[in-house]
Amino acid sequence: MIKPKSNREIFLNGIFGENTIFRMAISLCPAIAVTNALKNGVALGVSVVFVQTMVNLTVSAIRKFIHPKIRIPIFMLIIAGYVTIIDMVMATYARAVYKEIGLYIQIIVAFASIFARAEVFASKNRVVPAFMDGLGMGIGFLFAMIVISFFRELLGKGELWGFSIAGGKPLLIMILPAGGFLTVGILMAFFNWIDIRFFGGKGASGAA
Amino acid sequence: MTAIDMVKITVNLVVIYVIGGLVMAFVYSKTSPILYKKIQEEKEAALKVMMPEADEIKEVGEWRPHEKHASYYVARKCSEIKIRTVKDEKGNEKQIKECIGPEDIGYIVECFGKGYSSYIHILTSVDKNFVVKKISILGHGETPGLGDEIEKDYFLRQFEGKSVENLVVVKGETQDKIQAITGATISSRAVTEDGVRKGVEMLISRFSKEVKKG
Repeated sequence: MIKPKSNREIFLNGIFGENTIFRMAISLCPAIAVTNALKNGVALGVSVVFVQTMVNLTVSAIRKFIHPKIRIPIFMLIIAGYVTIIDMVMATYARAVYKEIGLYIQIIVAFASIFARAEVFASKNRVVPAFMDGLGMGIGFLFAMIVISFFRELLGKGELWGFSIAGGKPLLIMILPAGGFLTVGILMAFFNWIDIRFFGGKGASGAA
Repeated sequence: MTAIDMVKITVNLVVIYVIGGLVMAFVYSKTSPILYKKIQEEKEAALKVMMPEADEIKEVGEWRPHEKHASYYVARKCSEIKIRTVKDEKGNEKQIKECIGPEDIGYIVECFGKGYSSYIHILTSVDKNFVVKKISILGHGETPGLGDEIEKDYFLRQFEGKSVENLVVVKGETQDKIQAITGATISSRAVTEDGVRKGVEMLISRFSKEVKKG
């Protein structure tokens, strides 16, 4: 299964081949909790890009030092450390932004996707590929958040980025959790269809 | 597991956790004093916005809605403000504003309302007759997209000029009461009936009595 890939392939793999939400179906909890407005989705996505990249870098840099038996608590500390630092720095120096997304920064600690990449990829690869993998996975997540929250905010609130577009609330259910499940399901099916129809893949079952 | 493994694991954990702890402690020590100052400034600015015509806003006490600490303030207008320059123990000159002929023009109260998924933190200002002048939402954790509409202007503006008996949520159009937000009746109720109304009632019981006593 493991064959050497170019950095570009590793980067693109995170966005398409193993997209966190649409292909791997992990970290679905924030994908549904936060994506009822485009602004929230983007804010969480950007924070995840940063944390995922930094965690991958750190784990990869110290991978030879970590004893395999205790890698889990060490990954936990690295993730929680970065999240705590971002949280404190943003709370102090970017208060306006923090008021909007402060709540979501802290839940990054419990992200399956970040943990999974540290375990599956960063702890077994060199620093540069690990960096590309983190960046790709993070941007893949950001992409998923943008697509989901775009449809949910537009259909549920008739707004985009807080600006009224449709004038009214066409489908209120879209911003409720039920609408989140519907959107993720339909989009997942759509990306599977593209994969099978145009790229001869096997859909989500062929990933991983 | 060999003895070497055990030593390795111990060293591993100690080194990484000590480094992690030191980094976090360093960031905390740099940010927390600034953060504290900023929060203090924001609070003062928020109070000022609630009652822009007041010259002086003073904390006079604390009450406990939902077992939380909440303060209430008296807003005063001065007939004259004198600025005195005083020297403190270290010999530094400091300017102190002195309020001459203060007159109470209203009250500001911090309230908490129990919402759908959080306690909503509200600031309410009332005039001398306990008619609401302005409310603002300081913090909440209501459902994004539904409950968070309580922060929007069209909802908050309804409170201006309402007296305590009109702080009631109504579904549908209303002129003298508060109109609920579509899909967020619980959050609207929490702000209006559990938060603001209880705060104003507290102020009335607290300050009307004093007037009678005096």
